[in-house]
Amino acid sequence: MLLSDLMNVWEANSLTTRTIEHLTMFSIAIVIASIIGVSLGIYLYSRPGIAHPVLNFLNVVETIPDIPLLVLLLPIFGLGEEPTIVASILYSLLPITRNTYTGLKEVDQQYVDIAHAMGLSQRDILFRVRIPLSLPMIAGGLRIALVFTMGVVTLGGLIAAGGLGAALIAGIQLYEVGTILVAGIWTGLLAVILDGFAGSIEKKLQRRYGTW
Amino acid sequence: MPSKRIFDRIDSIQLRGVTKKYEGRFAINDLTLDIEGGEMLILIGPSGSGKTTTLRMINRLIEPDSGTIHINGQDIIELEQVSLRRNIGYVIQNIGLFPHMTIAENIGLVAKLEGWDKEKISERVKYLLDFVSLPSEMFMNRYPHQLSGGQQQRVGLARALVMDPPLLLMDEPFGALDPILRKQLQEEFCIIREKLGKTIIFVTHDIEEAFKLADRIGIMDDAKLVQIGTAEELIFHPANDMVASIVDTGKKFKHLDTLRIRDLMTPLDNKYVHAASLAVDEAIDSMLAKDIELAVVSNGNEPVGIVRLPDLMRLGETSDTIGDHAVSVPSFASDELLEPSLKDLHEKGHSIAFVTDNGRISGFLFPNDVFRQLV
Repeated sequence: MLLSDLMNVWEANSLTTRTIEHLTMFSIAIVIASIIGVSLGIYLYSRPGIAHPVLNFLNVVETIPDIPLLVLLLPIFGLGEEPTIVASILYSLLPITRNTYTGLKEVDQQYVDIAHAMGLSQRDILFRVRIPLSLPMIAGGLRIALVFTMGVVTLGGLIAAGGLGAALIAGIQLYEVGTILVAGIWTGLLAVILDGFAGSIEKKLQRRYGTW
Repeated sequence: MPSKRIFDRIDSIQLRGVTKKYEGRFAINDLTLDIEGGEMLILIGPSGSGKTTTLRMINRLIEPDSGTIHINGQDIIELEQVSLRRNIGYVIQNIGLFPHMTIAENIGLVAKLEGWDKEKISERVKYLLDFVSLPSEMFMNRYPHQLSGGQQQRVGLARALVMDPPLLLMDEPFGALDPILRKQLQEEFCIIREKLGKTIIFVTHDIEEAFKLADRIGIMDDAKLVQIGTAEELIFHPANDMVASIVDTGKKFKHLDTLRIRDLMTPLDNKYVHAASLAVDEAIDSMLAKDIELAVVSNGNEPVGIVRLPDLMRLGETSDTIGDHAVSVPSFASDELLEPSLKDLHEKGHSIAFVTDNGRISGFLFPNDVFRQLV
């Protein structure tokens, strides 16, 4: 009885398609944000002079509330998926970049010292010592980004980006309690699952690359 | 990228007028120091005396403000840092094994960067692990945190040896270990050292460790080298009170004035005694057969001197007797006091003396060995 109701609501709102849309936007945003964020973090580490201004700028971006940010992006990217993905990336950059930069900078000096003494070049030290030892910290940043991105992608429903947000908005507008409940709980559950998954990866990295 | 083999062996390391200041305070003040190839020099002194700074200047972790450092006559400032460091092993107290790499990866890291192939690296890693008495199959794939402190320190040494560097710098490598383990590793290191045949500069604050391991000891205080010499020289001729208090002469030798020669002599086995009339080649055969490198030449019951196997072999074809080549050595009665005899031997530069009982030779006195027994 309950299950068939649930199936009806799921089918009526094409929640399978919505979920795929949702996760597609989410994945694109996270992959791009990770690439840019980690690269930017490494770059800032190599140019400490500009690290603070750049991180401060990202901080400012972070303080813009999500709905206004989406609205601000509309004139540039129009409606739909693009502004949603761009907003997700903008929010994700700060935690990823900041954690990468801090992670690289705060690697225990004794390992850097001995690496120098063994005759590792600056480049070798970066790639073989600093980056591996920062991975748990970088993963921590990614996990924060992941939570932000889930939220923004859901809000994308407001600007015709599709995804689970669209189903949720439709439910609210038509006042369909079933739709609101199913889409809402499912979105929440998805976020918890993804966060749990990211957490377990972080823990693994901590075990493998953490300092003992 | 393979780096150049800068030196295959160390002939000399010379520090000339090396000075380093931190915030107006001398870390090293006009240091001049000569290190001979193959020796083990131990630098000792209170913390802040500049011993670690000296060590870290040799692999250019610290650059001097003024003065020069030459290795085999070459100014190290002209050498590329990375190649220089890959030619110098470095071992420190807190070891610094990389926590994200296995033991094998830690040891093989520089070899990998040098472009060695996998098999060669794995072979070298296995060899080194066995060399430092860690069964390779048990340890290769472990992570540093799974090892005890002593095991980690062994791995640290193996890692420093991976490129077979002719020079080893060691900064209190046994300092963090508990006393018994430290003694054990020191003993093992004594043996390993013989096999290595490397030039070693070693920093410690433990004078007993210095006595046990060093060829020469350099005493540092307040950014200066106060005195350098063998343990014997430092104990018998301390340059000042500070040196005397470090080598702790008074305390360690309190009992020396009561010791007699017989207490510390090495008793003589009859197989060492050879007649002066014996032909050189017969003496060589006899010594080889008895597996001895030193013989007492005696005339009847009276010792005339000693001969050493390598010297005899160097003579080549000859009809001389060993009596012709005997080198005379000092002789002491076994009931004489040890201390004046040692001082006498030391001043005359003898490393061996006869001990006699009623005119008959009864043993040897090796001042260096006596020394080791005392400290």
